[in-house]
Amino acid sequence: MAGTEIFIEDLRAWAVREPVSRRAYTILRIRTRSGLAGYGECAGITAAELARARPLLLGQPATAYEVLDRRLAELPNARAAVNVALLDIAGKFARAPIFQVLGGPTRHKARAMTALTGASDAARAAGFRAFVVPVPPPAAPNQGQAFVNAVRRRLEALRAAGAEDLVLDGGGLLSPGDAAGLASALERFHLLWFDEPCATSALGAIRKLAAENVTPLGFGRNARQASEFQDLLREDAVDVIRPSLARHGISPIRKMAALAEAYYVAVAPYHDGGPVATAAALQLAASLPNFFIQQIPLPEAEEDRKMRAELTSQPVELVKDGFAALPTGPGLGITVNEEALKKYGEAVA
Amino acid sequence: MRRRQFFGLAGGLALGRGEASTRCGCALSLAEQPTGAEAFRGVGSKVRVTSLKVFGVSIEPQSDRPYVFVKLETDAGLVGWGEATLEGKAGAVIACVNDFHEFLIGADPVQVEHHWQSMYVHSFYRAGPVMGSAISGIDQALWDLRGKILGLPVYKLLGGPVDPRGVRGYYHARAGTREELVKLRETAAKEGVTCFKSGIPGLYEWIETRAKIERAVRQMQTLREGLGPDIDIAVDFHAKTSPSVASILVKEAEPLNLLFIEEPCPPENVKAMARIARRSTTPIATGERLIASYSCRELIEMGVADILQPDICHVGGITALWKAGAMAEASGISMAPHACEGPIGGIATLHVDAAMPNFLVQEVCSGVRPERKEKIWEEWLGFPAMRMVEGRFPLPDKPGLGFELSEDALKKYPFGGTRPMARVFHEDGSVAEW
Repeated sequence: MAGTEIFIEDLRAWAVREPVSRRAYTILRIRTRSGLAGYGECAGITAAELARARPLLLGQPATAYEVLDRRLAELPNARAAVNVALLDIAGKFARAPIFQVLGGPTRHKARAMTALTGASDAARAAGFRAFVVPVPPPAAPNQGQAFVNAVRRRLEALRAAGAEDLVLDGGGLLSPGDAAGLASALERFHLLWFDEPCATSALGAIRKLAAENVTPLGFGRNARQASEFQDLLREDAVDVIRPSLARHGISPIRKMAALAEAYYVAVAPYHDGGPVATAAALQLAASLPNFFIQQIPLPEAEEDRKMRAELTSQPVELVKDGFAALPTGPGLGITVNEEALKKYGEAVA
Repeated sequence: MRRRQFFGLAGGLALGRGEASTRCGCALSLAEQPTGAEAFRGVGSKVRVTSLKVFGVSIEPQSDRPYVFVKLETDAGLVGWGEATLEGKAGAVIACVNDFHEFLIGADPVQVEHHWQSMYVHSFYRAGPVMGSAISGIDQALWDLRGKILGLPVYKLLGGPVDPRGVRGYYHARAGTREELVKLRETAAKEGVTCFKSGIPGLYEWIETRAKIERAVRQMQTLREGLGPDIDIAVDFHAKTSPSVASILVKEAEPLNLLFIEEPCPPENVKAMARIARRSTTPIATGERLIASYSCRELIEMGVADILQPDICHVGGITALWKAGAMAEASGISMAPHACEGPIGGIATLHVDAAMPNFLVQEVCSGVRPERKEKIWEEWLGFPAMRMVEGRFPLPDKPGLGFELSEDALKKYPFGGTRPMARVFHEDGSVAEW
């Protein structure tokens, strides 16, 4: 097996920021002695974290993504990006997309949705057919009927305008009581689901919310580990698990998906970062049996969209009739443009 | 002497007491086994099984569910028939029935419970669907023989009939439009049929869109509108839906007063099905994929199912179906056994139905009008098997299962081989339940 030993030689990262939306994320690169480069993405990483990660990774076998994931337990940001970068390397070594390395493809395209702040026209034009709609920020805890009516009117207006499939995003901002009121009022509206209706800290409150009505509930963008999903699943409190790409990378989410599968619960990974994580999300989607939909950010400003396309040389966020095409090249299936990384961001050092 | 026996004996002879063995601790040598049938000489019957035959029978050459019929012959000249049909896995079940050859030759067919225990327990790993179906076929054939030896129909051996008029049943309603359903209602009134079952359209992902949910609800509403308020309607979700989607549909269906909704989600996770049951008053039926009474326990204990539907061709035959019924009875749960295979399993089920006080209704995978399949069954058995009269399946009066079947009659429909069940996929190519 000597021919399959490849070793990590170099680790670096660039922090980038979209010019208009100011959405920020960090792209990390791992290079092997043999010259392969793998990329990953996370929300942000400090120079100090990068310095701590180096001795844990340099000289280690590059295909050991599972083993090295554990070594990085204390460095959660680096951990997610490293996981994706190592799988990118594994795919490039195998000359196969990551989803093939991981047992896929389980599907030939991935259903996609995007967050709406205003009207749905631009998102529809970009090919999306399902949308995430945020609740208005509550002024204070314990909302009344006016709040419920405002949310309902907003959803009805979107439906009337042709945005049929909707996820209501509570953002973890509502009290469990307000969330329950809203979930019950919308039971027959048939949302795709009500996401993060309240904070996940009070499991008892969530269990009650889930037992009271049949509106599907999504949770988990802030979950740090699989055991939080295990708790939600065991308590019959979740219909869609939403582990975050930026927090976990690919292989930890595969394990969370395996947990959910045993409960017939779908996975819709949370993603509000950049295009490298989108590529990772699509690779993940095509490796899972219980994937339902992938959230993909769609910046309003043309400038921001241009930056995302440049970072991956060719745009990877291509959505048509509600589905994203799978990248088919080796690894993540993208070519990260390091000139663009330098143009839009700066090296973490 | 067989090779296996020889090695077993050799191992036993070569080693002195307490001497270390290279044989692994989980391989009991045959020499250490008790004597089996010989130990029951004097307390059992005098009849012995002399041959075991298995028939694969394809009434359509491309069928995914060729019938697997089991025939036991005895030294008393009596024969027993049973059915071990398992959709999509005919070859495996035929092989598995044959694996039990040594269990059966020389056995006393009267002591069916003993043989059931031996087949199940001595198979060590317990039974999945392949072995469950094999045991089911053998068990039915043993019961057929028992009845013939003891001179009683099986339902009388089981203490029935609860209702001498027969066993209440339902046909499948394949009609889709309201007008077709109104016609079906008129036919049902004429024939005395009181109950139908239908399905929900299309495939479902684990989260679904409003369009798919509302289409399914409309279909259920059309059933009630077309068939009217007096016919009992069951709707089979066929485990196409996840707990999340099924919870919505089952709740939306409440005003329709359905007899039950069947398999609202897949069968592996009882707790997940409980989520659906807890959030609606619509009765939940499930159980066609369960093997042995053990697998019904959690459903009953957790208060998930209102109605159990084990299948006599998979659960472990008459012996296991009756036990599942007894367990359900203790919790006030009704029985509506699944039956979607051939006529032998169907008839065997009627015998158990007729002896269960908590019996509700019996399935047959047929429409209100007999078609080719039903005509073949009649050609084999000499009477319209599994056809209702005034809404009930009549009970046979002959000993055993109550029919005669010749091997020659089956020769017209030779085994077409194993064919996979339907394989269906979602729009993105991923695997779907159907």
